[in-house]
This record gives sequence, structure tokens and C-alpha cells, in this order.
Amino acid sequence: MKLLLAEDERELSRALAAVLKLQGYELDPAYDGEEAYRLAHSNAYDVMIFDIMMPKKDGITLLRELRAEGNHTPVLLLTAKAEIENRVEGLDSGADDYLTKPFAMKELLARIRSLTRRSSESYNPSRIQMGSVTLDTENLELKSETSVRLGSKEAELLEFFMQNPEKEIATEDLLKHVWREDEEKDPEIVWVYVSYLRKKLQWVGADLRIEGEHGGSFKLVQAGK
Amino acid sequence: MVKLTDMEDEKTSIYGEYDPYLQKVLDTLTGKILKYYNRIRKEEGLDLIEHFSARIKSDESMREKCVRKGLPVNEHSALKELTDSVGIRLISGFIDDVYRNVEEIRKIPDIRVVKEKDYIRHAKDNGYRSYHMIVALKTPFPDVDGNNPGEYFAEIQLRTIAMDSWAALEHKLKYKKNIGNTKLIVAELKRCADEMASTDMSMQTIRDLIFENEGREFGLRSTEGYNETASGRG
Repeated sequence: MKLLLAEDERELSRALAAVLKLQGYELDPAYDGEEAYRLAHSNAYDVMIFDIMMPKKDGITLLRELRAEGNHTPVLLLTAKAEIENRVEGLDSGADDYLTKPFAMKELLARIRSLTRRSSESYNPSRIQMGSVTLDTENLELKSETSVRLGSKEAELLEFFMQNPEKEIATEDLLKHVWREDEEKDPEIVWVYVSYLRKKLQWVGADLRIEGEHGGSFKLVQAGK
Repeated sequence: MVKLTDMEDEKTSIYGEYDPYLQKVLDTLTGKILKYYNRIRKEEGLDLIEHFSARIKSDESMREKCVRKGLPVNEHSALKELTDSVGIRLISGFIDDVYRNVEEIRKIPDIRVVKEKDYIRHAKDNGYRSYHMIVALKTPFPDVDGNNPGEYFAEIQLRTIAMDSWAALEHKLKYKKNIGNTKLIVAELKRCADEMASTDMSMQTIRDLIFENEGREFGLRSTEGYNETASGRG
């Protein structure tokens, strides 16, 4: 599981990073809103944690921009103020949850677990579109010139790619995201499923393709773009 | 009393004097297909056809089709306007094999491809998938247009086992088109077709992965190792 932490207080950031890493999460820290925006653009995350008060770009603006661009990664807001207005604005801007500072580490961890648990279920739209392709995540239907029904893991993998277009995603990260509950996960499964998706995208006449090689990073791109 | 001759007349085949040639057309085409099939099997170890069937459209259904299409019921309609008096169906294991068959048929001497329809890449709305070819075969006997040597049409349908199985089962359901839940049934049958197509693509991918990685490190390893693992776990 990969997290983005946008928090300008370096000490708090370091403390959170240490605990989260200990819990087995990978973490990219950002110290201002613009850096967080850049990272969110080039990497695929399972959860993003944004502080609201940040230099260069505040957490709510950052969140609004990402949501407007179709980024549906679950976001947890950290608010310094316990004001109701502040929380309402955050949630209305597309945040999935919030936590008021000061908070207990235990609670933050529980909220992250809760967000990753439902990341691929109720928190996302049931239809995702990119190029000529529509993925209906409820009915697992992949459609372009013609349609096919995907298996659930295939649909999850494609959904993750479509939510993170044009981003290099490592085999290891795909494995952790899609096969998170599988105990004996063999990284080889990622290559097999990427191969399935490539074949199916090609057969439905999609203008999307997955770039990358066996064992490396993969990137979903739109042809002619 | 003279009516008897009329009745006799009606009993003669719609294909008229060309009726006996149709079996020859069918045999010749089948022979040409088997020829490349055997060659490729020997040379490349590829089994492009799982099974095939061939038929001459019955007198009755040909007459019925002429009427349905608003054509005069005669041998010209049956042999020149309609192109499926001779029909061959080739069933393959994998999708790529279907397309390889299409390529090989295009290369057969004495055959002219008149029309091709790819209902695999562009499945019909109900989910039906198949590759259709209309071919014209040059023959050493006359045809209904007075050509000698003549030319006869045949329709070749190519598809995978899964596509064929869907088509056969859908046909057997013969659901009434006017009952209330038609829409649901049609949608569900299409879902089945799309799921089976998906499985076809997965099987093709697995075959590709095994091929590409023969001799290289891959989770499924060689075909042999894969079988061992499969049976070991089963």
C-alpha cells in the first residue's frame, strides 16, 4: 500500500512516516501543496493524506483540482481547526474522511485501513471512461467497439490503471493494490493479468494500451495522444 | 388429372439440374481446407481445426429463404442470388486459429473471396460471434449462368469452440420473442456471450505466454511443468 502524505510540519511528517512505515506502508512525503500535486500526478497511491493549511497550495484547493481531473484516490484530510465549516468544505470538495488535529495515531491508522478496505468499492463511480473505452465496474463490462466481461481481478486492475492514467506503476504496487488480501501472492500474476488486459483491450478495439515489460513498471496510455 | 405432372415438378429440387454438382462443390472445398490443415499440422504442429461440419442447404429451407427474401423461387435465386447453398463451419480451439484459417482460405487456389464479415471484432448486438466468408469456387462443370467452367458460392463460418457453444445453446433456448422479460433474457444471453469471449481471450493469452516463454523463466514455466502443477494441486 502506497500513501502520499502532504504535511508541511516536518516533525509531524517524520513522526507519521516512521509509524506508517513500521505498519508496512510505503510513503511519499510532500511538504507543500504543489509538491503534493506533482507527486499525485506521477504516482499511483492507495490513500492520500492532506493537511489543509499548507504553503503554496492549501489542501482543499489541491483536493478540488485532483478530483476535477478525475483522480478518485481516497483522501483523508487533516484539519487543524475543529470548525464545522472547515470539515464540511473538505468533505464537499471530495474528501473521503477527515481527522482533527491533534489526533491519536491509532485512529489515523484505523481510518487509513477503512479507506483502503473500500477503495475499490463504494467510493468510486461505477463507470470510468478513457479514450474509446468504458469500464463498468459494477457489471465488470469492458466496452469499446465491442464488449467483453472481465473477471473481478482484471476489472480491478484496469480500474486502477484508468484511475492513474499515464503513470508508471511498479509490478509490486499493482500486486499490493489488486491482490491485497491474497496471502500467497506471486508477482508473476501481475504479468499474466496485464497480458489478459492487453489482449482484451486489443480485441474490443480500444485506443488504450498498457506499456511496460515483464516484471517492471506498467503505464496505461491512450494511443495517438 | 394433368395436375400430377405439376406436383412432380414441385418435388424436383430448387437447384434443378445443378443439384448433383453441389455435393462436388462441398467435397472439393472440404478437400482444399483439409489439405492446408494437414500441411500446417505437419509443418508447424498447429491444430487449426477442432472439428468441422458441412451441409447443403435443404430444398425446403432454400425455398423458404427465397420467399423470405422476396426472390423468385428458382435455381438462379438459390445458386446466384443467395450464397449459402453450400455451407461449411470450421470450429477452432483458439481465436488466433480462427484468423489463421481465414488467412489460409484466402490463399486457396481456385477460390475467390466475395465477402467477409468479422462478427468477432464486431459482435452482433445479441452477442453472436463468428467470422463469415462468402467464397466462389471455380469448378470443372457448368453453372446456372451458363458459364462452363462454372462458379459456385459457399459460405464458410469460422469460430471458436466457445463461440460455437454459445450459438448452439442460444439457438436451443428458442425463447418467445414477445414475452414480458425478453429484454432481460436478451441482455443475460449477451452477458454470457461476452463472458465466453473473455475466456477465449484469456486462453489465447495463456497460450501466447507459454509460447513466448518456452525456455524462459515464467510462472507457468513450460507446458509440461504447467500440467504437473495443475494435476498436483487438483
